[in-house]
Amino acid sequence: MTQGKAFKRGVTWAHIVTFILATAMAYVLAVLSSLIFPVLGAPGVSALYVASSVYVPLGIWMGGWGALAGYLSCLFLGLYPSGYTLYQSVIWAFADFIEAFIPALLFRILRIDPDFTVKRGAAARLFPVFVSTGFIILILGIIIQVLLGSLGEPFTSIYVASVYTGLGLAVIGIMLGLLVGDAKTWGVYIASIILTSVASGIWGAATLTLYNVPPPLPAELFWPIFTGWVIGDFIVLSVLSTGILTALTPIFKRTGLYVEGWWA
Amino acid sequence: MPTILEELAGVYVRHTSYSELDAVTRIIVPFFLSLDVFFVKDITTATLLAVTALVFLLWAGVPLRFLKNYLFLILSLSFFIVLSFVFFKEVPGNTLYSTTILRVNAERGVWEWKILITDTALLQTAFFILRILAMIFTATLFIATVSDRDIVWGLRRLKLPAWVSISASLFFRGISFFVSDFLIVREAMIARGVDFEKSSLARKFRIYLNALIPLLSLMVTRSLEISLALESRGIQPSTTFSASLHRGKLTIKDYLVLAFTVFLTIFLAWWFTWRF
Repeated sequence: MTQGKAFKRGVTWAHIVTFILATAMAYVLAVLSSLIFPVLGAPGVSALYVASSVYVPLGIWMGGWGALAGYLSCLFLGLYPSGYTLYQSVIWAFADFIEAFIPALLFRILRIDPDFTVKRGAAARLFPVFVSTGFIILILGIIIQVLLGSLGEPFTSIYVASVYTGLGLAVIGIMLGLLVGDAKTWGVYIASIILTSVASGIWGAATLTLYNVPPPLPAELFWPIFTGWVIGDFIVLSVLSTGILTALTPIFKRTGLYVEGWWA
Repeated sequence: MPTILEELAGVYVRHTSYSELDAVTRIIVPFFLSLDVFFVKDITTATLLAVTALVFLLWAGVPLRFLKNYLFLILSLSFFIVLSFVFFKEVPGNTLYSTTILRVNAERGVWEWKILITDTALLQTAFFILRILAMIFTATLFIATVSDRDIVWGLRRLKLPAWVSISASLFFRGISFFVSDFLIVREAMIARGVDFEKSSLARKFRIYLNALIPLLSLMVTRSLEISLALESRGIQPSTTFSASLHRGKLTIKDYLVLAFTVFLTIFLAWWFTWRF
C-alpha cells in the first residue's frame, strides 16, 4: 500500500516558460499603454498601465515569477521606447517588481488560498468604482495638504473634505468587495491594490525625478507623475485584474502552474 | 541577424562596419555611454554625449526615419520639462517673463501660481532636453546593434544554466507570439460583431479586457506545450550548453572603439569632479 506522502515539486519548465511569456505579453501591453494613455512628460508612465493587469495576478498565482515578470517588462520598457539608460531602467523597474510583490507577499504571509469566485455580481461590478474613486479623492486631498497645508484655510478644509469623502467611498467599496465572494480573498486583494498602487507609485515617481543615476526628469514632476501613476494603477488593478483573476484563477490551479510558495 | 529593434519594432538596421564589431564591443559601448549620462552635469557635456551617441547611431546604420518616431516623445517631454520649470518652480535668474495665473489669499499667507521664465530656467531646460536626447540615442544604440542571438550566446558563454539563455530567447519569440495571438483574438471578436474602431474609450477598455482573458488563456496553453517540448528533449533548467563554437575574437577596431568609449567616460568623470 502506498503511504500518503506529501512531496514538494521544484521549479519546472512550465513555471519558467509561463513567466517569460507573461513578461513578453506585459512588455507589449506596457509599450501600448504608455503610447495610448501616456502621463505626458514622463516616458514609460501610463495613466492606464494595462500591463500591471498581467503581472499583478501572476504574482498572486505564481509568487516571485510574477514579480520578476513585472521587473523585466518594466526594464525593457525603460530601454525601449522610453529611452532611459540601462542603469536608470534597472533602478526604475523595481517599481513594477514591488507592484506584483506586495499582493504576492500578502497572500503568502496570510496563507490565503485565493478563491476569486464571484457570488454577487453587482458587488463585483461596483466595488472597483467605489474603491478607486474613494482613494483617488483621498490621494488628491493628501497631496494638497502636503504641498499647501502650511497655508491653512481654505486648503485645510479641502483636505478634510477630501479625506472624509474619499475614505467614506473607499470604505463602502471595501464592504462591497467583502460581499463579492470569499471575504478573506477579496479583503486581502483590495488591501493589496491600495498598498501596491501607492508603494509602486512612490518608487516609480521618485526614481524618475528624485533618486537615480541621474534622475531623468526634473524633481518638480514628482507629484504629477505620482498622481497619474497611482490613479492609473487603482483603475487598472481594481477593474482589469479583478476580471482576470476571476476568470483565470481556476485555470492556473488546474494546470499546476499555481505556486503556493515563492517559486514552486 | 535581426537586432532587438528589428524584433520589437520591425525596423531594419542596415549592415555597416559597426555591425562587424564583436558582440562584446557592441554590448559594452552603450553600457559605457549609459554610465556617461551620470557624469553629465552641464550643457557642454550633455551636448558632447548626445553628439557622440548620435555619431555611433549613424555609424551603426540606424535609419534616421526611425529617430523621427521619437520626435513626438521628445517634443512632449521637452514641453513638459519647460512647463515644470515655468509653472512648478521659481528658478532664480534674470526674469524674462512673469505673470500670475491664480492667487489665493489663504489663512497664513498668499498662494500664487505664476509663470516665471528666467534665463537660468531656460538653460536648465536645455540641459535636461539634451541629456534626454543622449539617453534616447544610447538606448537606441543598444537595441539597434545587439541581436537576441548575441545575448543568448553571451549568456551561454558565461556558462549560465539553460533556463537563463532559453528565457532570453523565448522573451523575444514571446512578443511575436502575443502579437499574432492578439490579431487572431481580435479577428474572432470582429467576426462576432465587436467594433474596435467606433467604440468609446470606456467601451474599448472593456473590449480589451475581454480580449486579455483568452490571450492569457492561450499563453498558458502555449507555455505548457513549450515546456513539454523542452522536457521531452531532456533539457533541464539547470543544463549548461557549450558555446565554444561561437567564440568571437576582438580585432584592433574593437579595441579602438572600446578605448574611445573608456576615454570618454574618464574624461566626463574628470570634468564632473573638476567642475562640480
